[in-house]
Amino acid sequence: MIMDTQLASLLTAGALIVIGIFGTLFLDNLIKKVISLAFIGDGANLFLIAMGYKAGGIVYIFLPGMSMSEFSQNAAYPLPFALVLTSIVIGASTMAVMLGLIIVLNKKYGSLSASKILGDN
Amino acid sequence: MSTENLLIPLMIIIPITCALFLNLLHEKSRVVKIISVIVALLLPTIPLLANYGIQYFGGYAPLAQNPTIATGLPTFITGTALNIFHPAITYVFGSAQKLMITILGFVALFAIFISLYEVKKPSGVYIYLILMGVASVMAMLLSDDIFNLYVFFEIAALTQVGIVLVSKVKNNYETALKYLIVGSIASPMLLLGIALLLGVTGNVNITDIVYSIKTGLVDPHSPVLLMACSLIVFGWLYAAGLPPFHTIKSAMYSKALPTGAAVLQAFSVFTFVALGVIIIRIFSYLHFAEIFILGISLIAMVLGITMAITQTDFKRLIAFLAVGELGYIGVGFGLGTVFGITAGLFQAVNEAVITALLFIGFGTIMYKTKETELKKLGGMLVETPKSALLVLLAGLAMAGVPPFNAFQSKLMLVQSSLNSGLPEVAIIMVLLSIVTFMTFMRAFHTIYLRPKPADLVIENENIPKVTIVAMVCLLIICLVFGLYPQLATNYLQGLAMGIA
Repeated sequence: MIMDTQLASLLTAGALIVIGIFGTLFLDNLIKKVISLAFIGDGANLFLIAMGYKAGGIVYIFLPGMSMSEFSQNAAYPLPFALVLTSIVIGASTMAVMLGLIIVLNKKYGSLSASKILGDN
Repeated sequence: MSTENLLIPLMIIIPITCALFLNLLHEKSRVVKIISVIVALLLPTIPLLANYGIQYFGGYAPLAQNPTIATGLPTFITGTALNIFHPAITYVFGSAQKLMITILGFVALFAIFISLYEVKKPSGVYIYLILMGVASVMAMLLSDDIFNLYVFFEIAALTQVGIVLVSKVKNNYETALKYLIVGSIASPMLLLGIALLLGVTGNVNITDIVYSIKTGLVDPHSPVLLMACSLIVFGWLYAAGLPPFHTIKSAMYSKALPTGAAVLQAFSVFTFVALGVIIIRIFSYLHFAEIFILGISLIAMVLGITMAITQTDFKRLIAFLAVGELGYIGVGFGLGTVFGITAGLFQAVNEAVITALLFIGFGTIMYKTKETELKKLGGMLVETPKSALLVLLAGLAMAGVPPFNAFQSKLMLVQSSLNSGLPEVAIIMVLLSIVTFMTFMRAFHTIYLRPKPADLVIENENIPKVTIVAMVCLLIICLVFGLYPQLATNYLQGLAMGIA
């Protein structure tokens, strides 16, 4: 293995967040802004998942024939995965509202330019 | 504290369930009205009736309190801190939560009643949004689980956007989108802070995180914890509308209906308290965290109140004053003493009531004239004498004039800053209270006392009695807490002692 999986995940998460912030601040197209915001959200989620990573770990399901000590020593920490599921749902709802608003504003202004739509408000 | 009290989860479950139901019934105005009235009455009633206690969702108490589950578990679980850690989402209902949730319930009750009686066909969607927001903020005040708090933080943000979207005020969609975009940066930052806390302590329960830090299970001065602190503070600034988010927050208030703005500012105040209390609980050992809270609160006060002076739209003016008043709460938190935090919490309760009263009061001007521009208004004293008197008293209360409640909380804040050896903070607070008074009086004079402009159209429709009754009730709360401040401070002191 060239790089530790957890470290690679954390670096990827950091890269996603930085790219997302850059896109949100500097791109004028509202759809591109939303995609950048999705990058930030995904980066945060990946970061959370990486917190629960355990090298050589197993899924947190107690299977028949498994001993208690084998399970407790090898199972990955399940809490971050459960949290990320909730976080994904929240992110999807927020994005749905944002895209809905952009559709309405696009009809009103005939443009997707953030500086034109949000500039004077 | 008793460990089981079914009314604690019902504070959240009832408004959320009824909100979802109302959303489906939004065309049936009579049913919407009946259900809304019942739920609105329950909002302050349930916390008043509920006993103090702790609710473990799923019934999973810590192993130390749960011998039936603990028996038979290996010692590497029961013999360590895992024995006292909380395996379930935990809600804590103490005296401070009781007071704040009851006040939030009253503000929501009046907002719902006014919105039901000011329009001929009440909207189920609007009531749905108010109820969802109220339930979310109540959950944030109750939750001892930082991820659960984050979930409700997001729901509260979405409902705030919804309340602005249904207002039909000019450019409300643009403001809502801007708020969502800013929120979509701030929320992942808060989530990252939570992820870092989880990574360091292995926990999302706040009591367990505090235990891990204070007992040295984790290194309190780990750079990861410092990073987590700054990310959570960033989320807090956004949720509360503190600088640099004060302009977008005040724009949100000004694009909502008066009742919507009243509940929106109550959401901001109590979100400020919920997240602020958590930051102080977890990071109180970091001296710079308290200094930062104090500094940002002073900036919020100065920016909010000075920007209010320049406003030409009265809704925007009140919105900026509301942001400025948030700074007073933060000063109490930033001082970090029991007396200071009690004063800050008392100021939060007072501000939620006073600003709601002001938004509803100035809303009567919109009801009569459909106008918010100060230069186009005048002579309204003759048209709305009762609401003019109530608005004047609310403005005096906001400025901290006795015998109203904000006088007591601001006096406590001044005393607290003097006791902490910070007379300059006390001077700034007194000066800004004077500026608040002057700014409010300028708006009051323009709207009510100067001659009516010739082109101002005033509708014949009378202000609904329910609006006046709601304003009188809010003013009575202001007077009661002003004359008997111990009624509030006795409830809030316990929380302040627990976190200072």
